[in-house]
Amino acid sequence: MSIKIIKPGLLATLVDEGRVGFRNIGIGPGGAMDSFAMKVANYLVGNGEKAAVMEMHFPAPEMLFQNVHLICVTGKGFEIFVDDKTIPLWKPIAVEKGSIIKFTKSGSGSRAYLAVHNGWKAHEWLGSFSTHLGVKAGGYLGRALQKEDVLETATNELAVNGTKTLPWRISKNELDAIYSPPDEIRIINSIEADLLLSESRKKLLSSNFSVTHQSNRMAYRLEGEKLFLSRPVELVSSAVDFGTIQLLPDGNLIILMADHQTTGGYPQIASVIKADLPKLAQLNLSDKINFKMIPLSEAESILLSKEKQLAELKHICVRQFNQYFGS
Amino acid sequence: MTKPYTITPINEGAGLISFGQVIDETINRKIMALHQLINARPFGGFVESVPAYSSLAIFYNTFEVLQINSARNSAFDYVKAHIENILSDVILDGAQKKNKIIEIPILYDGEDLEFVANQHQLSNDEVIAIHTSMTYRIFMIGFLPGFPYMGSVDERIATSRKSSPRTSVPAGSLGIAGVQTGIYPQPSPGGWQLIGRTPLKIFDQQKPSPCLFSPGDAVRFFAIDQNEFEKLNEY
Repeated sequence: MSIKIIKPGLLATLVDEGRVGFRNIGIGPGGAMDSFAMKVANYLVGNGEKAAVMEMHFPAPEMLFQNVHLICVTGKGFEIFVDDKTIPLWKPIAVEKGSIIKFTKSGSGSRAYLAVHNGWKAHEWLGSFSTHLGVKAGGYLGRALQKEDVLETATNELAVNGTKTLPWRISKNELDAIYSPPDEIRIINSIEADLLLSESRKKLLSSNFSVTHQSNRMAYRLEGEKLFLSRPVELVSSAVDFGTIQLLPDGNLIILMADHQTTGGYPQIASVIKADLPKLAQLNLSDKINFKMIPLSEAESILLSKEKQLAELKHICVRQFNQYFGS
Repeated sequence: MTKPYTITPINEGAGLISFGQVIDETINRKIMALHQLINARPFGGFVESVPAYSSLAIFYNTFEVLQINSARNSAFDYVKAHIENILSDVILDGAQKKNKIIEIPILYDGEDLEFVANQHQLSNDEVIAIHTSMTYRIFMIGFLPGFPYMGSVDERIATSRKSSPRTSVPAGSLGIAGVQTGIYPQPSPGGWQLIGRTPLKIFDQQKPSPCLFSPGDAVRFFAIDQNEFEKLNEY
């Protein structure tokens, strides 16, 4: 049970929910940039959320199926072809042995997730399958996938004949609840919010910021109105998180992403709410965003409702899967 | 009475207990004591905590905290109240866990050793003698997996970061930044003044406990020569 990379992508790695419990020794969680797409890809092929998934950027790898596989691709900004026929995202597909999967860029979005029934076989490091490129551990040999790599899956071939889509999917409404409107990013105050000059605070909430080319899995550097502190401060480093918005000395903003360092010394003026991190993860270079400030209590209730939405999606997917395969 | 600390949300899944913007051993001891206490007796929904110089970040699962404490309408309020309760225990508790002293061999041949010596009108040997004379505290681990922020460096050799960071610092390099000293566990861009290197892998992802140091540990350095370096070299 395996697939082979016949043409490598820009940065295709195995990821999962990330590594928990090691921030105190400088190891951040890492894991999928778009955790919603990663989890849902797993649910749609009958997995739990912990199975390893392939995260792909554009250009994505071309792969050969060496066996029949039940897969699903989620994410945004990609069109998928199996043997040159378009197949839908956010829908499970049984793919015939010998088929080739290819991706092209399509519409807005920047990351796609390829899940397989039973998960990709991956190296577990400190409780997670996620690839840690910095120390070369976890995932597939601790590195991005290359030409000729063979990715295996856990046993159990499913009884399916020919390439076909299976009759369940994520609805457009469910996706819109996560990814729309694409330019509105909700934030809450963080530990150094009070240090921001009041004029700058207004600009933070009233002007556009765009994602610059100096953006990657570690952080997005933004371009827009320059912001300033009300007085100069010398901060000692403290913990940061995925979504932390820091103000750099040159007046520009940086948003920390999945592969962020564990600690930082720049002022943490705000934080993107967790529910909007998947949306943030799907931004492209030069996309514009607007920040909308909400109270902490609202961020907590949004997080709660997203967790419930995910639990429901999982439940529905499991039921559909079991009905179809009769277990 | 005003409290000596603040508890503020980092985001909707984490809070920061901060004792101000200081590098102070007494405060850092308190941070480590709280870090140990909260990991020994975690509240429901606790995920992990991150000690730094003068702060401790508490990461929690908002969903779980709210489920367990259904009477509360804010997970942060619950965590804050819980921390305030246990903080009084920490502050009153004078008995601190004794941390081990870790001895690290260093070949003092760093590219910036001369620069550090010149800046303070010392010889290279005097810089080495001063650097090896101190016992350093690991105030925190951050920046890179396993990077120890140690202090405090004697003012006679304390030196600011390089104005332009190196694009690549080799793993094992020992640096100085102001009154801090640290070792790069992996190759990385970096602006610290490099005074030497250790042959020991201070971070080894193959090991079940990959990091040689824990926050709060004490470290002493001793000088070795090229031959000893080659013998001990783990890279």
